[in-house]
Amino acid sequence: MSHSSSSRGPGSRDRDESDDDTGPLGEGAGERRIRVGVGDLAVATEGETLTTSGLGSCVAVALVDDDAGVRGLLHAMLPASDEARTPGARRGKYVDAGIDELVDRLVAAGAAPGRLEARVAGGAEMLNLTDAVGPRNVEQVERCLSTAGIPIVASDVGDGVGRTVQFVAGGGLVVRAADGFERTL
Amino acid sequence: MRVDVRALGACSRLAERGAEQAAGALSDLTGADLAVEVTGASVASGEDLAEAFAGRESIGVSVGLRGGLDGEAVLAFDAANVDALLSLLPGGASMERSAVTEVGNIALGGFLDGWANYLGKAIDMTPPRYFEADGAAVLPDGALAGDGVFLFESRLEATTTDLDFSIYMLPDSGPFRDLIVGEAAPAATPGAEAVGDGDRGRTAVSYESLSTFASLAKRGSANAADNIAMMTGLETTVDVSRLRFVPLADIPTEVGVEPYAGTVFELQGKPSGYLAILFEEESAAAIAASMLPSEPDEPLGGMAENALCELGNVMTSGFIDGWANVLGTSISHSPPEFVHDIGSATISPLVARLSRRQDYGFVIDAAIQTEGVEARCDVYALPDERELTQALDRLSET
Repeated sequence: MSHSSSSRGPGSRDRDESDDDTGPLGEGAGERRIRVGVGDLAVATEGETLTTSGLGSCVAVALVDDDAGVRGLLHAMLPASDEARTPGARRGKYVDAGIDELVDRLVAAGAAPGRLEARVAGGAEMLNLTDAVGPRNVEQVERCLSTAGIPIVASDVGDGVGRTVQFVAGGGLVVRAADGFERTL
Repeated sequence: MRVDVRALGACSRLAERGAEQAAGALSDLTGADLAVEVTGASVASGEDLAEAFAGRESIGVSVGLRGGLDGEAVLAFDAANVDALLSLLPGGASMERSAVTEVGNIALGGFLDGWANYLGKAIDMTPPRYFEADGAAVLPDGALAGDGVFLFESRLEATTTDLDFSIYMLPDSGPFRDLIVGEAAPAATPGAEAVGDGDRGRTAVSYESLSTFASLAKRGSANAADNIAMMTGLETTVDVSRLRFVPLADIPTEVGVEPYAGTVFELQGKPSGYLAILFEEESAAAIAASMLPSEPDEPLGGMAENALCELGNVMTSGFIDGWANVLGTSISHSPPEFVHDIGSATISPLVARLSRRQDYGFVIDAAIQTEGVEARCDVYALPDERELTQALDRLSET
């Protein structure tokens, strides 16, 4: 049905890639959605909409190779995997490991690393209680993408507002804030 | 029975992956994309479960399990959704029972595959049994029998249609006991943490201590409700109070994308952690108005914020009241921080903070209902897992 898969580990089930694009309802690939959970990532190769919701201090990194028609979305919680004292955690939990994994998966799906461009959303400073994890996530995204040579073409980050994003076919990242304000990056 | 918390984490991971397999099978069958919303293991008494499931009507399929794992597994969905499901299945409405039974059989087969692989032993399923059930009768046999159960629950939701499923598994104590006491559960699972002998003492707690803590949490929820009643003069009751062991990353998804207003607290002491009290916007405005001498200019403006902070303070004190006494530690809480945003965005920084040390954790969630103003709030307490485990371990020694 789709070439999507989630990062939840080797036990997770990838959808059967030999199926055609339409389910019993005649649903086209353009209407298909892949939901990306917290600390998770996914790749879309057939025009599916990638969505992730409730970004507070978490950060969403959307990467696209327009020529190859391959897109990927990461919803990371924490800046760096060296903060981890939880071996075996999902790679998508961290900005650094998550971006590495996402790039690998995009390349495996046919993207060229030199053609990737990034859109970034989230990283809000929601609470005083949690030592600015949002801004630190955003800084880490900028650092990692710069190292990987991937330009950030648009971003909607920071402030104190929660966001929901949809990464649609064509590469636009639709960001909706908690107050209902919506913009496409 | 002593429970190894890390082994319980490994079991939760199996349940999570099993649920993903089941979601894949259901997606293939129905053409609707299904995603796993949440997987967890409840530490719950039969009475708690009966309360939590009151008023629900479910249709489902159950299978008995023998071999690698003994017990029962159930796939269930809301009876109101039966037409939506049947319209997606080959054969449609004319095939109601047999179609649903087949769906259940395939989904539960997927769910159990991961467990069987992990255990290296086949799990035999008895032929699937179709049922329609009221309330907690949907749960596997034995779930309501009393204390001492871990009920694994996964919720699967369709991304585009109004369709969701629950999978419940209640393992019998025999082979499952070996799993969660850590005997059979070291790092054979890819990605799971090793359960070294040196660590086992620090991560094992007695089931009785967990059960005691679940009761304590329930009493805390009742205290918090009493404190709302005291401040508003309105009758307030606890709908649900549960102690669950869940992947932390699932919690924001579970809270959902509706806007909420409320307060967040940091807990300081042993265990440390966080507590969030979230009201849907209308409920927040209604409960704040009931505490104010006159109608505020803005429903959720500064006056309402102050009222909700004050309410949060007394609820939190009530909620953790008794923890320190029973656990023999000292626990305090920070001043309230007012939040008003998408629910999951509000809770994700707390989860991120705890996730630096743990992937799984105990969460106490309670739903509290205030009559008269039709207000409802959800309380989430997220204690540091290691500190809670240590405190519970000390509890079992005394």
